[in-house]
Amino acid sequence: MSILQLVANGLVLGAVYALVTLGFVLVVNATGAVNFAHGDLVMAGGYAAILFGSWIKLPLLLLLPLVALAMFVLGVLVCCVAYFPLMKRPPSTVFISTLLTGIILQNTYVVAIGPEVKAGPPLLQGSNLPLGPVVLSPQAIATVMVAALLIGGQYLLFFRTPLGRQLRAVAQDREMAMAIGIPAFRLIAITFGLGAALAGVAGAVLSNQFFVSPTGGVSLSIYGYIAVVIGGWGSIFGAVAGAVIIALFQVVASAFVPYTVATGGLYVALLVILFFRPQGLFGERIQRRV
Amino acid sequence: MSVSSAGYEQRGAPTLLAQPLRWLGHGVNLPLALGALAFAVYAGRAGAYELRLLSVAGAYAILVIGYQFIFSYAGAASLAQSCFFGLGAYMTGVLGATYGFGSEITLPLSILAPGLLAAAVAGAVLRLEDHYFSLATLAITLLVTLVVTQWLSVTGGTNGLSGIPSFSLFGQTVASRYDTMLLVWGFVVAAALLALLILRGLYGRAFHLMRQSRPVASALGLDTARMRFSAFVLSGCYGGLAGALTAHVTHVISPEQVGLPLMITCLTMTVIGGRMSIAGGILGALLITHLQEQFRFLEYYAFIAYGVATLTFLVLVPNGIVGSLEAIRNRLLPTTADPIAEPTVAPALDSHFADQGETLLEVDGVSKAFGGIQALSDVGLALRRGEIVGLIGPNGSGKTTLINIISGLYDSDAGRLTFAGHDISRLAAFRIARLGMMRTFQHIHLVDEMSVLDNIALGWAGVGGAGLRQAFRAFGRNDSLKQARDYALTAARALGVDHCLADPCGALPYGTRRRVEVARALIAAPKLLLLDEPAAGLNEEEQRDLAQRIKAIAATGTAVLVVEHNLVFLAALAERLVCLDQGRVIAAGLPTEVRADLKVIEAYLGTAA
Repeated sequence: MSILQLVANGLVLGAVYALVTLGFVLVVNATGAVNFAHGDLVMAGGYAAILFGSWIKLPLLLLLPLVALAMFVLGVLVCCVAYFPLMKRPPSTVFISTLLTGIILQNTYVVAIGPEVKAGPPLLQGSNLPLGPVVLSPQAIATVMVAALLIGGQYLLFFRTPLGRQLRAVAQDREMAMAIGIPAFRLIAITFGLGAALAGVAGAVLSNQFFVSPTGGVSLSIYGYIAVVIGGWGSIFGAVAGAVIIALFQVVASAFVPYTVATGGLYVALLVILFFRPQGLFGERIQRRV
Repeated sequence: MSVSSAGYEQRGAPTLLAQPLRWLGHGVNLPLALGALAFAVYAGRAGAYELRLLSVAGAYAILVIGYQFIFSYAGAASLAQSCFFGLGAYMTGVLGATYGFGSEITLPLSILAPGLLAAAVAGAVLRLEDHYFSLATLAITLLVTLVVTQWLSVTGGTNGLSGIPSFSLFGQTVASRYDTMLLVWGFVVAAALLALLILRGLYGRAFHLMRQSRPVASALGLDTARMRFSAFVLSGCYGGLAGALTAHVTHVISPEQVGLPLMITCLTMTVIGGRMSIAGGILGALLITHLQEQFRFLEYYAFIAYGVATLTFLVLVPNGIVGSLEAIRNRLLPTTADPIAEPTVAPALDSHFADQGETLLEVDGVSKAFGGIQALSDVGLALRRGEIVGLIGPNGSGKTTLINIISGLYDSDAGRLTFAGHDISRLAAFRIARLGMMRTFQHIHLVDEMSVLDNIALGWAGVGGAGLRQAFRAFGRNDSLKQARDYALTAARALGVDHCLADPCGALPYGTRRRVEVARALIAAPKLLLLDEPAAGLNEEEQRDLAQRIKAIAATGTAVLVVEHNLVFLAALAERLVCLDQGRVIAAGLPTEVRADLKVIEAYLGTAA
């Protein structure tokens, strides 16, 4: 495979990871807590895609809003169960509760759907598109387009609408936001819902090419976590950049070395980055206030 | 162990029963005694299967007690505990099953290897904050898991290793299930006692302050980096021991015992038992091990139930089982205030300097910029022994930045600081504190759950050398804490807070908390006391009282630098004033002169007078 093709494949995977990370960093911003069940929500999106695809005979691309809606509800549910009762506790407590939520979700998948790996329907049918030295499948093109659309939509929502302004206010200082009459709890629930909807779309998009399985979400949670740390804690676009970097690294590296070595290399790279830049690649160093 | 146990003994009738009853009512003794009793009854009639389960639970108890060092005490959510466990288990497995070594070789190596791994990565990961630390430790766990699954020739890959021999010392094998169980629980008792030895005194209490705020702890003379390092390495060694014992008990080891599944189990045990309590760790391990086994037949439903149950627990019983029991006990049997402390004056620090009347602190040409903002430029000031100097200036003029630089929390960009004959320009905050400079903070940082006496005693922890070495030296006794409490009583009297010594600080009025904080800074008889807005939030009467007490402190030879907005408060207190504006000294001298200075008036009022 040519290096250009590898980069193109890496960018497609990066688009998927970016969607995963986008939802992850949303929740990080709103709550200051890591949602380790996020990857499992991605898998839920994949399962939803398979389910809806078997009911409704339409291209998956048109079913994505349905997936997002269902996942929004699930996200709000997770928020009410795993976050609200614990929001006054240290972040590590919320971290544990989301780990547990992840375990509940994973085993629910096994019980309800089965332990085997499944493939979802494609976003679009069609033949491959040669673009110079690079060949792109309709699936790949649709993936990148969906990701670009949602990342752009996220930007517009956050920086161009009153709702987005309120969401950002809650993320920055919840107490202050509540003091000026912003319904913080409702907005946090909405944030969880949006995060889950993005996770769901990511899962639906990746279900065809990368498959879904009950425990497949764990590594996605870890990648989301890594992307957020590399990108600078809480920076949305840093996190998206981090996600693309991880995907490129994985695709390009595993073309030359075994997949496990590439994964190991990713962890080593993360440790090296943290060693030299404890605040992440794009993060700013913050002076601790006393 | 409980944060709130303040070290008061109740005076009961001198009957034969009083002493054991008092002992039972204290700390973790009652749950431990009940647990030991139940344990003895159960173990006596347990079959082979139950014995094996008990042994595994014992190993997990050691894992959890070790995890409490880094997770509960140092407050860092490490995700490497399962990796330490796995390293110990594979060390024992590979050396025992493949090479046939006995436990006299494998056990020390299984404890040492994770300890060394922890020490090796500590420098890189421990300086990371919160989530970054968690992720870095997760990456280490995942890396070790990868190595274990891929290094087929040594570890057996995903199949793991089997045929690991039982525990044996120099050819003597511990063969029976019952003996193995006793052996494991012998280790549990030893591990718990060691943890108790380390954590029950001043050192363990210092962790509560360190976890709450590292800058505050280091400004009181605590080497926070070293505390975190010790906690991390200890958790590694405990994890290794737990892994080695598990390998001996189950005779098999698989990659699952390195990675996330075990890590989640460990977290769950810690949270459910009670994160601050050794007894809680043991209880959590026993409970979860047995619950997992009981519901194994339900297969995947069991994991769902396990997740739901633990989540419910997390929400409803926040302090874990033992923490909640302790809270109930404290409500039923409140500790009566009857201090056993005797007031003692702490020895002056670095006493060879004490009788020299020259300049104590000299700040010369200090500058500091944050990004593009020049917070301080070319600031100079000097303090003599026993002098009270007020540092004034409008908001944002650099007052707090200056005392953060003096106390070593920030490094200055340029300039030189000399204190008590030492160049402190590049010295770490805790070293400066140990030279005899203590401070308070604009926002009060006390450990809310801890008593007034113990909060004050923490001011002695760094200076008094609280640490692992002292904890081990005090084997069987608890002198360091008692001594610190004696000193604390003196400081408490000097600040007039000796009426509420046993009260937890969180319940006290603001003014009292302020004075407790000053008392904490005073306990080690510092040569220089830095007070950051001590009068903020106090009423006029409290302000007058505090001013009198600060004067009394200065009369003993301690120099005092007070950062303050309140000019009325300062006028009655300070002998000299230094005024900062936009990072520069614009006036210095007698209070009347400085207050009449046009530049000062302009800085405060904003327009030329």
